[in-house]
Amino acid sequence: MSSNDKKRMADVFGARANRRQMIRGAAGAGLAAPAFAAGLQAAGAAGTTRFATVDRAQGTPKKGGTFVCLGDQEVVGLSPEDADPTVVWAVVCQIHDSLYEQDENNELQPALAESYTISPDGKTWTFKLRKGVKFHNGDDFTSEDVKYTYDWIMDAKNGSTRIGNFDLVAKVDAPDPLTVVVTLKAPSPSMLFNVGGTYIYPAKYHAQVGEKGYKAKPVGTGPFKLKEWNAAERTTLTAFDDHFRGRPYVDEFRMDVVPEASGRAAALEAGKADTTIWPLGPEDNQSIKDGGKFAYWDWVQGAINHFPLNNEHPFLSDKEARKAMMYAIDRQSIVDDIFQGAAVVADSNMSPAFKWHTDDVTKYDYDPDKAKQTLDAAGWTGSGTRAKNGQKAAFECIVKTGDTVRRPEAEIVQQLFKDVGIDMQLREEPSPAMLDGMRTGKADAALFNWTYGTADPDATNELSSGGANNFSHFKNAKVDELLKQGLTEMDEKKRIAIYQQIQQIITEEVPFLYILILKATTFYAKRVKGVPEKMLNGDNFIQKVYQVWIEG
Amino acid sequence: MLSYIINRLFQGAIVVVLVSILTFLVMQAVPGSPVDLMIGKQKVSIEQRKAIEHKWGFDRPWYDQYFTWAGNLVTGNMGESVVRTGEPVSSMIKNAALMTLRLNVLSFFISIAIAIPIGMLAAIKRYSWFDYGSMLGATIGVTIPNYWIALMGIVLFSVKLGWLPPYGADSWKSYILPVFVLAFEEIAALARLTRGATMEVLGQDYVTTARAKGLKEKVVISRHVLRNALLPIITVIGYRIAFILSGTIVVETVFGWPGMGRLFFDSINRLDYQVVQAIVLVLSIVIVVVNILTDLTYALIDPRVRIR
Repeated sequence: MSSNDKKRMADVFGARANRRQMIRGAAGAGLAAPAFAAGLQAAGAAGTTRFATVDRAQGTPKKGGTFVCLGDQEVVGLSPEDADPTVVWAVVCQIHDSLYEQDENNELQPALAESYTISPDGKTWTFKLRKGVKFHNGDDFTSEDVKYTYDWIMDAKNGSTRIGNFDLVAKVDAPDPLTVVVTLKAPSPSMLFNVGGTYIYPAKYHAQVGEKGYKAKPVGTGPFKLKEWNAAERTTLTAFDDHFRGRPYVDEFRMDVVPEASGRAAALEAGKADTTIWPLGPEDNQSIKDGGKFAYWDWVQGAINHFPLNNEHPFLSDKEARKAMMYAIDRQSIVDDIFQGAAVVADSNMSPAFKWHTDDVTKYDYDPDKAKQTLDAAGWTGSGTRAKNGQKAAFECIVKTGDTVRRPEAEIVQQLFKDVGIDMQLREEPSPAMLDGMRTGKADAALFNWTYGTADPDATNELSSGGANNFSHFKNAKVDELLKQGLTEMDEKKRIAIYQQIQQIITEEVPFLYILILKATTFYAKRVKGVPEKMLNGDNFIQKVYQVWIEG
Repeated sequence: MLSYIINRLFQGAIVVVLVSILTFLVMQAVPGSPVDLMIGKQKVSIEQRKAIEHKWGFDRPWYDQYFTWAGNLVTGNMGESVVRTGEPVSSMIKNAALMTLRLNVLSFFISIAIAIPIGMLAAIKRYSWFDYGSMLGATIGVTIPNYWIALMGIVLFSVKLGWLPPYGADSWKSYILPVFVLAFEEIAALARLTRGATMEVLGQDYVTTARAKGLKEKVVISRHVLRNALLPIITVIGYRIAFILSGTIVVETVFGWPGMGRLFFDSINRLDYQVVQAIVLVLSIVIVVVNILTDLTYALIDPRVRIR
């Protein structure tokens, strides 16, 4: 951290941040991950302290004001079902709560649950729910709401997009109003992410209005309730007086939609908004940082910018050819020139943002000579475009239509490939077509970002043979087995070892070309107080608007 | 006259139906499905994905889906978006259309009011400083992308001066920048066209005759030149009116304006068939009707055009 940065941090926090308080807050409320390793009985303590992570050095909280967030696309609906786009999620999470929530440091914190216990066989999870929680319509929150929500998602005829999170759940019971028992088909360490992180519907109301009606008029337990929804323009929420953490300090939360990144940057600079939930361009980031009106947090994201390669393509099926391609790409210069330093070179399928990541993998530093030697050795020879037994070292790569960042990236790679005798042609397609092309194997290769394991490291859909998002058509029996083990391994150390082993195999097999991982910058206007010192995932902090207040 | 209108309307109806079938086919031909976007990065297995596709009916053949859509339409139901399911398509389109109309109608009248006098004056005072100046301005207006003008406008008036809001549609102030940006390009194009059309008329024999018989220049211009020069201008204006509803993606995107351009663009990108279909339907009806109206207007302005 430069001295300038330190100064800025000091500006934000008024004085030295009180770290001890934060750590205590996190440990008290947290389900520290080693709890898994320690044994089967991990109890998340009841978070009795309000706003455990608020840094008191930032002054006395004030009530009132409107917190304005900018989003890049329509808030298409207000149900948790709609919450895949970050912008929609940023609104949905204000209205709803789940049993456990992943905070800005990728740690799980209790929300609607107070604690949980796990049976010795790891298959029965018993959650103790928080008492006295109300929904926005005045209904009491009970275990019936949890059971209803989970059962609704698991019922395939409802067509829930979250059904995959419940793959391992056998049944859900509600023995008393404050107890939920989830019985699993197999032990699952991802339980708290997948199931515990599910936003809870009010059973009575949701059954009454149905999912379609719910999308326009949601009722949750969250700190803010709906005031007005105008999908393409603005969504306004007001503070919920009876929220279980206490009424939020700000009166209103607003999500304004400005699709153009430069437009959002200008709105921030004009002081019209407090934060933006979707990244800005690198130049705009720098300009806002320099402007001094915003506190900021730089962090590494989870998605990998990569070229999935159809491993069944006559040229791309050759592992040595794929390795040669890795050597041929100057990833650092892509980071520097295309992303202007706002990224890190990826060294496997896992982002270093997560504890599952390992450095101990096969590395491919830029070395065009080695790329050529590797191709020669594998029998891909000839001047111009190389060939082997009549098959040319050529394929087509799809880039999303109008993608102004990844198109130039693909063009650089195209040139670098040409230098070593590989012919990569580019074609643009809209994103559903691109994903479909890769899934069905009609397309050879593409360039987009995807996650291969995040805070929850599972990547069964992406890396297992025949997985729904196995864009590269990668088949590896060892990886299949490890993914299966990872799903049920309750010992955290062993689990980390499993996912690290997967990374080692991926870097040895190179099913796809992992290029880089974007860094993101999260901005909060300096008038917003009650923000944490550290954020490993700046996007996630938006769910804690309930703890901020607006100065002046 | 009446039979002409009925005839044209009948032809128009056929065009609208053909366009809707064609749109449906084109949308179906695009690989992928809106389910991809619904699922996003959620963990969903292949079987679960199929169940979701089934729930929304995407596994049915295209003609089956088309007839369901057309059948609903007859009963006044435009269907529902698969992405924005909480709101009926008709209300989505109505809201977006109103937002776009406010912006476009305003900029449309402003640009006509400014462009036609400028264009005519430039033609009459040909090769004067006014002519050179206004046509230089028009060339700049046509060549500079409105994306850039929009952003520069925001930087100057919102960020630096703080006079106007950078986005949104909250007050009359919100209209100034987007209307100006839209009108700028429009004025430039229309002024050039008016100048060209007027110059052509000025060279006609009947204008010389009018002058020769001693009419005042004012009368020559207003009675003979203006009326004749208006014909090509009306063609273009009619064409512009037809697209007044379709919105302008660039301006709507930069200014966060919730109009038709964005709705259309977003819906195409997420393969939201029902919405795309409904928008195309509305737009094609508007275009057909405006075309008929344009033809009728010719007859009003130019007695030489007779409708049979």
